[in-house]
Amino acid sequence: MSAADNSQGITPMLAEIREGIAQGRVPARIFNDQEIFDLERRKLFGKAWCFLAHESEIPRPGDYVTRSIADNSIIVARDEHGNICAHLNMCRHRGNMMCKSEMGNASHFRCSYHGWVYKNSGELVGVPYFKEGYDTRLDRKQWGLVEVRTESYAGLVFGTLDPQAPSLDEYLGGFQFYLDIYLKQGLGGSEVHGPPDHWVAETDWKICAENFSGDGYHTPVAHQFGFHLGYFPSSGATHSEGWAVHIPGKGHSIGLGHTPGMPPFFGYPDDLVEQMHESLSPQQLEVFSKTRTAVGSVFPNLSFLIQPFSLVPGEPGVRFCTMRLWHPLGPGRMEMWSWCLVPKGASDEYKEEAYKAYTLAFGQAGTFEQDDFENWTKVTRAAGGSLAQGLEFPYVMGLDRPPLEDWPGPGHAVSPYVTDTNFRNLWGTWADYLARED
Amino acid sequence: MPLQAPGIDREVRESVRDFLYRESLALDERRFRDWLAAFADDARYEIPVRVTREKLAEWELSPTSRIFDDTKETLEVRVRRLETDFAWSEQPPSRTRHFVTNILVDATDHPDEFLVRSNCLVYRSRGEETAPSIFSAQRRDLLRRDGGSWLIVHRWAALDQAVVNAHNMSIFI
Ligand code: FES
Ligand SMILES: [Fe+2]
Repeated sequence: MSAADNSQGITPMLAEIREGIAQGRVPARIFNDQEIFDLERRKLFGKAWCFLAHESEIPRPGDYVTRSIADNSIIVARDEHGNICAHLNMCRHRGNMMCKSEMGNASHFRCSYHGWVYKNSGELVGVPYFKEGYDTRLDRKQWGLVEVRTESYAGLVFGTLDPQAPSLDEYLGGFQFYLDIYLKQGLGGSEVHGPPDHWVAETDWKICAENFSGDGYHTPVAHQFGFHLGYFPSSGATHSEGWAVHIPGKGHSIGLGHTPGMPPFFGYPDDLVEQMHESLSPQQLEVFSKTRTAVGSVFPNLSFLIQPFSLVPGEPGVRFCTMRLWHPLGPGRMEMWSWCLVPKGASDEYKEEAYKAYTLAFGQAGTFEQDDFENWTKVTRAAGGSLAQGLEFPYVMGLDRPPLEDWPGPGHAVSPYVTDTNFRNLWGTWADYLARED
Repeated sequence: MPLQAPGIDREVRESVRDFLYRESLALDERRFRDWLAAFADDARYEIPVRVTREKLAEWELSPTSRIFDDTKETLEVRVRRLETDFAWSEQPPSRTRHFVTNILVDATDHPDEFLVRSNCLVYRSRGEETAPSIFSAQRRDLLRRDGGSWLIVHRWAALDQAVVNAHNMSIFI
């Protein structure tokens, strides 16, 4: 059966898609397809570890935020003992939504329908007319909020809907080495600068996840104004330099752009650079000190970017870090969540400056962000077209390139930075999830 | 705040209104240089992030998160970018229409500076799309008298939607 024949749906084609990916071909339709979306919802977002929140968003007991995994609303709370827990945002009595705000502080959640009351740790503690109405027929222990399994890494709280999922540690599979560039910027680690900005776009989440898995190729064109106005500490001529690394079979990847002649850790204040000599390993220091841009993704839909950026062209660069979640809403439709992470131990001045650089470049009104979404919405629309159903895209850049033998970090590393190597691994992992038996 | 009319000259009120309308027109006609010239050198332009909160929460507009957080210098960068051929988000450009209403002018401690509140509805249409983006905002401007006209010293605009229904904010409020 050819990829053009979709009369029998996508499932029988998954084996063919997987084979194509290994040879450097990806079908266009996966970026805007109801059936793909339905499979993702069940087999990918139902099984993977999905990002929920950064611990610094809920610092005090009782703090909570509401987040989602696929189409499930989830309350992520710090209970009265300081433990972080996550529960389905749905009353067990008739299913009313418990928390209707994005964030808040509460020791208990009281349902606004019939008044069931739960502790923020999920236990059902209050049932109106318990004696009069239920006699002895309701066991409160059985009807607590539905728990979502969580685990954390360096401040990132992930949840999974799959009780059989491997540990988060195993899931990350060595990618922690690279995550540290975003999460261990100094001894105190990282914290969010404030609540995330979020907005809805007619774009498939996967296009964005791919871009942030190390697409250095688009930068000189999509963000040409940055080079043109002298914003970007690299030129079109040197832009391809650097490394692309992924964790085989896990889908996580990172692009590490390098600009020759740039001072080590360019754009960080000196005191942070000093701290990083303690917070990072010698191997990490070797890799990160040379990095201009680090753009990476934790499979499936959490991404990060760190980069020096001058607020005004010609001025010295400031390092900012953005963390973003590409939350799927439907085929070709997503909600974007964007945070700015700052080093906890940095001065307030630097935090403010880094945040300003983030808003100007990568917030909702960010000059780089604006152009990305313009491109991504158009890719999505094209992928939904009828002729596009039979088309594939080439993913052959760097297809036969051997991995670097002396790379100091884990994973499969290649150079230069401009390559499809990470993306083949991303789509291979994605297709493996979709093809899995339930 | 009591619902009383402030003792502001009719002339000042008229002139502020006229200024805001002309400023909107400059934006809608994409005369971004003219628009930029209406900002004081020490100007600030900010749009905070709105967060859906419970009724008695201490804040609803984030004290730290911003969609825009600009000085005149960084606004200039945005305008310079729009003047290049590579501002893809505005290529082809958005058609915008700013509707400015409910203009209230209040005195400040400084005789030449006034606090001006207004409602602003921005209709934005892109390409052949039939569905527009609509941004509704409360604006608070600090205007400084500059000869016969006005300079924007501080524009603060709070969007009414917490999750904006637009794939980017490549326009100005
Ligand atoms: S739905 Fe919550 S108490 Fe009835
Ligand atoms: Fe980009």
